[in-house]
Amino acid sequence: MRVAVQLNGTAVELECAPDEMLVDVLRRQGLSSVRQTCGIGVCGACTVLVDGEPVSGCLTLAPLAEGRELTTAEGLPGSDPVARAFVEAHAYQCGWCTPGFVLTAKALLAENPDPDEAEIREAFGGNLCRCGSYVKIIDAVRRAAAELAEPR
Amino acid sequence: MSAVGIDPRVTGAQRYSIDAERPGMLHAAFVRSPHPHARVLSVDASAVGSGCVVLTPDDVADTHPYGCQVHDERVLSDVARHAGDIVAAVAAPTPAAAREAARRIEAAYEELPAVFDPVAAVAPGAPLLHAEGARSAGEAVSIGVRPLPATNVCHRFRLVHGDVAAGFAQADVVVQQAFRTPSAAHAPMEPHAAIAEWEDGRLTIWTGTQTPFNLRADLAAAFAISEDRIRVISEIMGGSFGAKTFVRQEAVLAALARKARAPVKAVLDRTEEFVTLNRHPSVIRVRVGARRDGTLVAKELDCWVDTGAYADCGPGVATKLGYAGVGPYRIPHVRVDALAIYTNLPPNGAYRGYGAMQSVWASERTMDVLADRLDMSPLELRRRNLLRDGDVFATGEVMHDVQFERCLQAAADAVDYERDPRGKGLCVLLKGMQTPSRAAISVERRGVGYAIRTAACEMGQGVHRSLRLMGAQMLGCEPGQIEVEQPDTDTSPYDTRTTSSRTTHMMGRALEAAVRDLRAGDGERGYGEIHDEGGLDPDTGQGVASTHWHQGAAAAQVSVDEETGQLTIEHLHGVAYAGRVVNPEGAALQNEGSLLMGLGTALFEAIDFAEGQVTNANLSDYNLPAMGDLPGRFTHEIIEREGAEVHGLGETVLPPVPAAIGNALYSLGLDVPELPLSAERVLAAVDARNASGAAGDAARDAEAETAS
Repeated sequence: MRVAVQLNGTAVELECAPDEMLVDVLRRQGLSSVRQTCGIGVCGACTVLVDGEPVSGCLTLAPLAEGRELTTAEGLPGSDPVARAFVEAHAYQCGWCTPGFVLTAKALLAENPDPDEAEIREAFGGNLCRCGSYVKIIDAVRRAAAELAEPR
Repeated sequence: MSAVGIDPRVTGAQRYSIDAERPGMLHAAFVRSPHPHARVLSVDASAVGSGCVVLTPDDVADTHPYGCQVHDERVLSDVARHAGDIVAAVAAPTPAAAREAARRIEAAYEELPAVFDPVAAVAPGAPLLHAEGARSAGEAVSIGVRPLPATNVCHRFRLVHGDVAAGFAQADVVVQQAFRTPSAAHAPMEPHAAIAEWEDGRLTIWTGTQTPFNLRADLAAAFAISEDRIRVISEIMGGSFGAKTFVRQEAVLAALARKARAPVKAVLDRTEEFVTLNRHPSVIRVRVGARRDGTLVAKELDCWVDTGAYADCGPGVATKLGYAGVGPYRIPHVRVDALAIYTNLPPNGAYRGYGAMQSVWASERTMDVLADRLDMSPLELRRRNLLRDGDVFATGEVMHDVQFERCLQAAADAVDYERDPRGKGLCVLLKGMQTPSRAAISVERRGVGYAIRTAACEMGQGVHRSLRLMGAQMLGCEPGQIEVEQPDTDTSPYDTRTTSSRTTHMMGRALEAAVRDLRAGDGERGYGEIHDEGGLDPDTGQGVASTHWHQGAAAAQVSVDEETGQLTIEHLHGVAYAGRVVNPEGAALQNEGSLLMGLGTALFEAIDFAEGQVTNANLSDYNLPAMGDLPGRFTHEIIEREGAEVHGLGETVLPPVPAAIGNALYSLGLDVPELPLSAERVLAAVDARNASGAAGDAARDAEAETAS
């Protein structure tokens, strides 16, 4: 079947089976930042923004994306302040989970431009980093919040 | 700022081993034994559709046993020695078709008696896993393997220093304690992934591995071909922590590709990860004696180290676990007996800390029990006995660049231990680096900058960044002008392996030599090679355990809800001695990552087994530390010394964490001898303390009554 979506700003039709998960369909599109990892929606390495909300691509049936706006890490511009804050804060080691953290951070800051540490911890309840880079990730989110708050 | 220049790990452009592809490749799935110990009677693949290639034991009759330290593994097992052991494999055009085909393969088994505990596995009459006995892997092994014939012991490491009986005779106080640690999952986010391809009798493997040259040697043994007919390319890994070492799925994948006459790719699923390689469970008994003034006089360690169905590097782990358990102390009389033991659990291997966590947990917990018996501060007891420069360790080595006291004091100060030690615990760590060790590297001038060829593998620890930073300083260029090429056994100079926090230490020195060579020559290319000699005699534990020491400490401050057993870590602090830091951001990340992994080990990480079956083989039932698990205060420091050489620090602060937290509980009278420190165990310790307190009160009352 075909599923019409806005993928990283472009209208596309995704070819998929009715029972396929979004992670597999997006990887087939060459979007390898979306990573099948735990397969049960616990780790957040397959995070996709669906209409701005972070969801687990491993738990979302691809046909449910019909008509939605999908954003993966590949869709962020190089000037994206959240992505840049992760680089500046050195907020990753192997980088496997990083796109999921960046997208979750974007969703958090869109909803709450000035989160405190408890709110940050809460927001990342669905993202795991086995390298244990959380201290620097919290720093990255704070940097991004500060950057976004600056009047341009 | 354009997308150019942004780290590919952030944009998602980074490619890992899982992203490798070859034209015309097939996909593999494995048929795994449901039984923990069973003879494979037959494999029936008649229900598998056309277009699939099935590999059964008959197809690998020409292959040979292999293994990095003991040759006890087969390409396909005709006896399954753990639930999840691979007994057949299938290649198909898609991963889904391969999985479906694997489901259609029927294997018939004769179940055999099984054993799941290392102490039970050495009892008389225990089922034997490898009746033919362990055979040393010879040259590939850096320690002499000492199997005990007709038992499940694949290696016995002994250390004898002084006369332990005479030592205990001098002791005023002797304490003996026993401890357990469970199996744990490395759980790198990226699973194991590899491609095997044969061309004109030559095998190429693309795989996420920390050990490309060891993998090549093992595959050469398995297929009885020379090493130059095998090429191993190490892809960038999405984490490893020891999981991607030596041969995992690569041997069976190579046999499958040989039969399929096509490249074949395998990506393990999360459940398979839990039966591929785990951490050694252990039982450790510590006996330590001291004089009244706190001077240690004798120590004995008996260690049962569960290496699972295959030895893998279990002999090496038992060795390092054995001597790390002595601790960084001057003790005139020491005896260590560490057994690497086969059981019918999945194989256990290298895991960040390499055995040190297990014995340090036992040994450092015992120090606080001893301090209590001596009515002495645990900090003071340690300070009184710590090794200092020029002291002789139990292995006979004269210690150099010794910083244990600085590390311990820094940890104590972080939690204000000396003002009030209640609810606080300390631990100090001595850990060695893989010795003997060899590292080589080459540098070549390019149009702009330089290219470095090295087998140092990148798994997130930042080794390639460290090499660029060091190289830039030595060569007088920008780090961005140095390209580090992908590890490839065809083109990279030999390196022992990327393990044991050795690479920055070893490769940094090799790089210095290569740059000297480049300068001395034509300025176009240079080559550097470093050999660190040493190793321990497995029967006496004497020799050179390590050419440089990993020195660290941890401190914890905890609170306990005594109604529920809920343990809260108020503050966790880790200290690593780095000698000299070359990559400050990377060093901080490695230290924080080690500390957090230690916290997971201490508080909740354990693979649960029921009759050899993993019962929590997913990331919901097996918990990894999440951001919300960060303690209220989570701090660390890296100690440097002017003029020191570079010390490894990729693992240093993991092993001391569980004992620091365990000792914090002990300061509250809560004695938990087994990891992880679950609420149930803490609550049991609360009940035990209250019961013994009540019993003690009753005894004192009775005594008082008699006296009056």
